[in-house]
Amino acid sequence: MRRICSLLLCLAMLLSLAACGQPAADPAEAKRLVIWHDKEDGVIQAMEQHLQAAVPELEVVFEKKTSLTDSLKLVGNDPSAAPDLFIFAHDKVGVFAEMGILAPIEELLAEGALEPYLDMTLEAASYGQTLYQLPLYFETLLFMYNRRYMQDEEVPKTTDELLSYMENNTGRGRYGFVEQHSTAYYSAAWIHGFGGSIIDETATPFPDPLAVQAALEYHLNFVALMPGETEYSTVNTLFLEGKADATIGGPWMVPSARGAEIDLGIAPMPVVDATGLALAPYSGVQGIHVLKHAAETKAAAVQQLLAALTDPAVGIELALASGCAPANSLCYEDARVAEDPLVQAMRSTAEIAVPMPNIPEMDVMWTVVSNLLTDVNLSGKPVEESLQAARKEAEQLIEAMK
Amino acid sequence: MNKRRKERLTTCAWSAPSMILISLMVVFPILYTFYISLTNMNVYHWFDFSVIGLKNYGRALFTFDSGFLSALLATVLWTVVNMVLQLVIAFVLASLLNIRKLRLRRLYKTLLMFPWAMPGYVSILLWKTGIFNSQFGLLNQWMEKLGQQTVHWLSSDLSAFLCCTVVNLWLALPFMIMIMDGAMQSIDRSYYESALLDGANWFQRTRAITLPAISPIIGPAVIITVFTTFKQFDVVYLLTQQAGAKTGSGFHKVLTYAYENAFITNNYGYSSAISILIFLLLLIFSARYQMKEEAGR
Repeated sequence: MRRICSLLLCLAMLLSLAACGQPAADPAEAKRLVIWHDKEDGVIQAMEQHLQAAVPELEVVFEKKTSLTDSLKLVGNDPSAAPDLFIFAHDKVGVFAEMGILAPIEELLAEGALEPYLDMTLEAASYGQTLYQLPLYFETLLFMYNRRYMQDEEVPKTTDELLSYMENNTGRGRYGFVEQHSTAYYSAAWIHGFGGSIIDETATPFPDPLAVQAALEYHLNFVALMPGETEYSTVNTLFLEGKADATIGGPWMVPSARGAEIDLGIAPMPVVDATGLALAPYSGVQGIHVLKHAAETKAAAVQQLLAALTDPAVGIELALASGCAPANSLCYEDARVAEDPLVQAMRSTAEIAVPMPNIPEMDVMWTVVSNLLTDVNLSGKPVEESLQAARKEAEQLIEAMK
Repeated sequence: MNKRRKERLTTCAWSAPSMILISLMVVFPILYTFYISLTNMNVYHWFDFSVIGLKNYGRALFTFDSGFLSALLATVLWTVVNMVLQLVIAFVLASLLNIRKLRLRRLYKTLLMFPWAMPGYVSILLWKTGIFNSQFGLLNQWMEKLGQQTVHWLSSDLSAFLCCTVVNLWLALPFMIMIMDGAMQSIDRSYYESALLDGANWFQRTRAITLPAISPIIGPAVIITVFTTFKQFDVVYLLTQQAGAKTGSGFHKVLTYAYENAFITNNYGYSSAISILIFLLLLIFSARYQMKEEAGR
C-alpha cells in the first residue's frame, strides 16, 4: 500500500511539473494580462481604474518589481515566468529589442492611433526605426526651490548666479542648493549645458571630450558647496527638511515636498554663462512594452489593452494623479492639465531636455560616468586624467558587450 | 545478489533524492555557467548564441589586470581581518555567555542573535544612512557634540575598509557566537573541575581544554565563513559602490570589481567565464585548505 501511495505521489508530481511547461489553452488565460512595473501607486491606480472601465472583459494584473530590468533579462524569453507587458522608461528599449524579447508596437495599434503623440516621445521609444513602446508620459528633472528660503526674485537665471547664491547661503548645516552631483543622470544636465554628451547615436563615448571636461571642471565649484553624499535619500531629506533652499529633482519629489508642507516653486533651468545653453537634463519617456510571446499568443487582448491606453483620458488621469506630462498631445486640451504648473514646467523643460539614449551601449555608460564623477568629485582626481581613463573604460566595456 | 551489493544499492537508493536535488541546485548551475562561458551569449545573440570555444576566457584574463590584482589582495586581507576578528570576538562573547550562574543569559543570547534576524540588505543600508552618513549619521552627530570636524566615513579606502568590516562583523558574529556557544556547552564540566583542582588559570584552561575541544566542532563553520567572507558582495557594494550612491572609496573586492568590469556589459558568455575563473580560484583555496586539514589529522 505504501509503495502504491509513493508511486501515485510521484506520478502527481511529474504531471504537475509537466503542466508547468505547457502553453495556456484556457480562454480565460488568453484574456489575462500581467504587467510588470516599478511605478508609484498613484500612476498604477489611475491606470487600473481606467482599464477596469474601458476593458472590463480583460483581467489586467499589475505587479510591482523592484529590479524589473534585471528580472526581464533572466526570464524575458520564458512565457511561463515573464509578464505579458511591462511599463518602464524608454532607455532600455535598445537592450531588450536587441535581445529579441520585444514586439513592435505599431502593428498592434489601429491606424492613425499614434498621430496625436508628441514626436519627441515616439522618437525616444523607437530603436532602429521600429517603435517598441507605447509612450504614456514623460518626465525630466526640474529646478525646484523652497519659497520659505529662496524668494521668487532670488531664483538664479544663470549658473554663475546659482554659484553666488550657494556661496552666500551655504554653511552651518544649511545648503543653498543640493543635487545628486555624482550620478550620471543628474550630471548629464551640466554636460549638455556645455554642449557635450555622454554617448552619441554611433555609440561613441564622450564624443566631445573637451566639452565634458569643461563641464566637470566648472561643476566642481558647485560640488564643493554640496554634501559629500550623492545618493537620493540624502539630497531628498535635506530639501524636505528645509536644510536646502533649492534642488534639481524629478516630479517624483513633488508629492513628498507637498506632504512636508514646503511652499514649492518650480523655475526654468539656469543657463550656463560660458555657453549660453541652459542646463539640459535627460528626459525619460515612460511607456508600455509588449513582450513577443504575448503579442503572439494573446494578440487580441494586447490590442484591446493598447487601444484603451491610447485614449487621452489615461494621460489626463495620469497627469492629475502624479503631475507627469502626457505623451498624447490631446491631453493638453483638457483645461486641468493645461493649467497644472507642474505639468507645464515639465513640458517646457522637455523642450530643452535630451531624451536618454536608448542604444544598448548606454547600459555600460551609467557605470562609467558614475565612476568618472566619483573620481573627480569625491576622490579629487584630476579631471583630464579621469576623463581619459573613463573613455578607455567605456571603449573596453562597449567592446566587451559583443 | 549478495548482501553487500544489496546494501550498497539500498544506500544509493536512499541517497538518490538528495543527490538529484544537489545536482539540480548546485552542480547543474555550475555546468550550465561553464557551458555559457564557451558561447557568445550577449545582447546581440540572446537566442541564437553559438559555441566560440575559449575566446571568453582569453578576454576574461585581460580583466584580471592590476585593478583585479589589487582587488584580489584587498579580498584576501578582508577575509583574514574579518575571520580573525570574528573568531576572537565570538570566542570572548561565547566564553562570557558560558560563565556559570550568569544572570539573564537568554536575554543576552537573544540580543546577540538580533542582527541575524534582520535582512542583510536592510542592516547594511541602516548602517550606511543611520551611522555613517555625513549629514544625519550618528557618528558625525557625536563628532559635532565633541566639537570635532565631521568625517566622510566611507570616502577613503582605509576608512571604508574599516566601516565595511564593522558592518560585516555585525552581520556575521551571531552565527559564529552561536556555533562557539554550542561547542562550549558540549565540553564536559569535569575537565574544568580537574584543571581547577590542578591550579590551572583561565588562559591555561582555555589553551588546554576549551580550544582543543571546540576546534573540531567549529571547523566546518569556520570553513563556511571563510568562503562566505571571501565571496561576499553586498556589504562592500551597498556601502560604497552602489550605482547612484558611490562614496569615493576605491576599495573593491574581486566580485565588485568583476561586476563593474564585466557583468554590466550584458555579455553572459564573458561574465560566465569570469565567474568560472573566480570559482576556480575559490576551489584552489578550498583544496589547499582541505589538504592542510588532511595532513593535520
